[in-house]
Amino acid sequence: MSALEIMDPKMDSGMEGNGFHSIEEAIEKGAAPVPLSSDSTVDVQRCIDVMDHLLSCEATWHKGHSLAQTVFSCIYLLRMERTSSHPLLHSYCKIMRSTCNAVIAAVSDARTHEEEDIFVMAHGLPLQGDRDEKCLSLLNSVEETISRQLRACKAQASRKKPSDDVGSLQTIPDLEEGFCRALLCRLRFRKHFYHALMCMRKHQGRGIELAKKHVASCLSELAFMSKSVEFLRSNGLGSCHGEIEYRTTASGKQPFGFDASLNSRLSAPTPPRAIQIVSWKQAILYFEKLMNDLDAALSLPLDPLLENILQFLVQFQKSEPHLVARAHLQLLLIQDGKLYGKDSFHAVISRAIALPEITRDLAFQENEFVVQLGQLVMNLIKILCTNNAWQRRKLGKILEDWGVISIQQLELAFRREYDEMLKVSAEENLYMKLSKHLLVWAEETTYWIASRFLLLGFQLELYSPKEYCMVYWYLYVIFVNLLEKMQLRITYSVDNSRRKGKKKQDLAKDAGFHPPTGVSSTCLLLQCYVYISEGLTMMLAALHNERHSFQISSPFNSEHERFIQHFELLQRANVPQHISYHLFKESTANVQISNVLKHNYFKEVQRIITSLRGSFARDPERLLELHRLEQVVDHNRVALGVIERVGANDVSLEISFEFPYHPYFAVAVVKRS
Amino acid sequence: MEDAAPSEPFPETELQFSPWEVEYVSYGGEHHLPLIMNLVDKELSEPYSIFTYRYFVYLWPNLTFLAFHEGKCVGTVVCKMGEHRNTFRGYIAMLVVVKPCRGKGIATELVARAIRVMMESGCEEVTLEAEVTNKGALALYGRLGFIRAKRLFRYYLNGVDAFRLKLLFPGAKSPFHIP
Repeated sequence: MSALEIMDPKMDSGMEGNGFHSIEEAIEKGAAPVPLSSDSTVDVQRCIDVMDHLLSCEATWHKGHSLAQTVFSCIYLLRMERTSSHPLLHSYCKIMRSTCNAVIAAVSDARTHEEEDIFVMAHGLPLQGDRDEKCLSLLNSVEETISRQLRACKAQASRKKPSDDVGSLQTIPDLEEGFCRALLCRLRFRKHFYHALMCMRKHQGRGIELAKKHVASCLSELAFMSKSVEFLRSNGLGSCHGEIEYRTTASGKQPFGFDASLNSRLSAPTPPRAIQIVSWKQAILYFEKLMNDLDAALSLPLDPLLENILQFLVQFQKSEPHLVARAHLQLLLIQDGKLYGKDSFHAVISRAIALPEITRDLAFQENEFVVQLGQLVMNLIKILCTNNAWQRRKLGKILEDWGVISIQQLELAFRREYDEMLKVSAEENLYMKLSKHLLVWAEETTYWIASRFLLLGFQLELYSPKEYCMVYWYLYVIFVNLLEKMQLRITYSVDNSRRKGKKKQDLAKDAGFHPPTGVSSTCLLLQCYVYISEGLTMMLAALHNERHSFQISSPFNSEHERFIQHFELLQRANVPQHISYHLFKESTANVQISNVLKHNYFKEVQRIITSLRGSFARDPERLLELHRLEQVVDHNRVALGVIERVGANDVSLEISFEFPYHPYFAVAVVKRS
Repeated sequence: MEDAAPSEPFPETELQFSPWEVEYVSYGGEHHLPLIMNLVDKELSEPYSIFTYRYFVYLWPNLTFLAFHEGKCVGTVVCKMGEHRNTFRGYIAMLVVVKPCRGKGIATELVARAIRVMMESGCEEVTLEAEVTNKGALALYGRLGFIRAKRLFRYYLNGVDAFRLKLLFPGAKSPFHIP
């Protein structure tokens, strides 16, 4: 695929085109004048256009295109020394370059995503500058000057004497305020964005609160930028309304000083294809989303408990945050091989297995399994910060690593028990208890990873409706095993706390016990998932058996091959053992709608949800989840009732499965034709 | 790679004909190459050089098929096969049917013929990529037994994701026991 045809413009990046042959030629021919105009009003207008186009280029870069064809298509950035006589342009170029450096550094350091490959490519681009650390002071000085110019023009407008004589920004008094405001919000956005990036990289999350404030300021400056559109367009050319929506500047004008073809030879290894720079409107929307994603990342509660961190990451990923936000979140979580840069992973594990007293034990810290588990936990957190598609593949791949640990743990535990049966000392007891706790926690985490792997398949639209039955069946199996391990882990931690003499109410608080039942609320929620998965499996199986719908038939293979392919990684890791296609067929072969109604899976869920509302009263996310589950079970119960009443093999019924209420639990939609 | 359909020199309107009026032939030589290139070049944004086409049709001529209707080439499929990480695998590189002739099972027949040759040649599986928005292709391959094995984030230059589609033949060897 790397072969190219010379003189084919789609493939031949070295082909002589109609444009300039070099940056120097472009400059000589006036492509990037400094100043942009001898008329100061036009100069300011054009400067704003350059800033706006750079914002659009930056958004295009973030969305997956090369830096060379986007931000560094700007001749002013390629030859920054030329702009030193123009403080406004110079300061903006410097802050742009510094921001690009900061973002590339963060994404490079995070280093677990494939999408960074194009993102961080910067060969031959003048990204390093001598005095980048002074970019903020230069920007602040320019901002201060323009602020004074704004105050002066407002004073003049109200016929007051200006407090100091700074000279006006440009020559048309009626436009002074509009241009000052338009420039200030653009400069301030850049300043706050850069500050936010610097704060986020501070050690051990020390800059989080300040970063949040800067992100909030970015959002308000973006709002001001959007408001400046009307003023800037009223001074623009008379372009038609339809066309202006796709322009890369607020004014709708073409910016001076950009030429993507000048860098065509720097876009190796692939020949550069013509790319579309996103419109300025889309760029604003992109940065608004990025700021919201960063705000969500900065809401990281610095929770020491692993299960809460994992839950936070699952919640964070729901809005499909962009690479820049995900990379920064990962760097907040993992610094210098430690959680938040301060907790070693053996401490994280000891808290997860509810044996915090073991943290300082050197033998525990140096134990090869603990070290290995620590690496796996760190790797898991990094994977959960990647995009969903990549994440699912990696989660599938690491299942085997987690599964192997469990077997080794088991062997170690049994070997100790067997050899030392008659010489049980206090230390040996602790060792055996530790092995037991570690084993059950590692198994629980393995099943949690397996459940994420399967659930992400729904989000990524990897399953066809004909495959839902086998997927929900496998999910049911995984949830049952996950629940078992979770309950075991909780039992161990409760036993341990009892031995320490903890009071009953403290025990309940520690384990998240649900008051009426004395069972953990998390376990009860998981029980809902078990019932819903089982209910959906049986409903789909019944429809398959009675209506012959959702049947897989193809000329080249059968349902068995699809099963093998979908669950290959789980089977390879023995998660769980003894699960097979034949077991799936045995479980579903004779199911009828009447069986499904008799077992009342969905009614059980409703009962649990009613009791759980109190426990989750202060947790809006979990309350929302309960509401969604309730919608799913209600609608499926109604659908089952209709199918039973009309008759499952009535040809007038059209039955489909859709996801209007929950991202992975489907609802049967029944229509009569 | 991609599935597409060019639009000239055929009329815009759908052509009416029966399936048996379409003749399917295996790649027969250099005289077929310009027909294939013409069909693919017209529709795909991805530019393929002459070397790319020759790579496929010279090494695997038995995996390229053309569909003719009234003497005109209306569709083609171009594939390859080989060892990939200890698996003998077929790969569907390009599939094209002209717009007026779509919806008549021509693409399905072209792909099915190629898959049959792959199966008879000992392939264990067949794979390809398709845009997540290409509902027609996804339905076609789904009916033939392909699953969506992976989603590839921003696989295409326009930022669209792709699915890696895979079809596993029965009885394929695997490194672990699958009951």
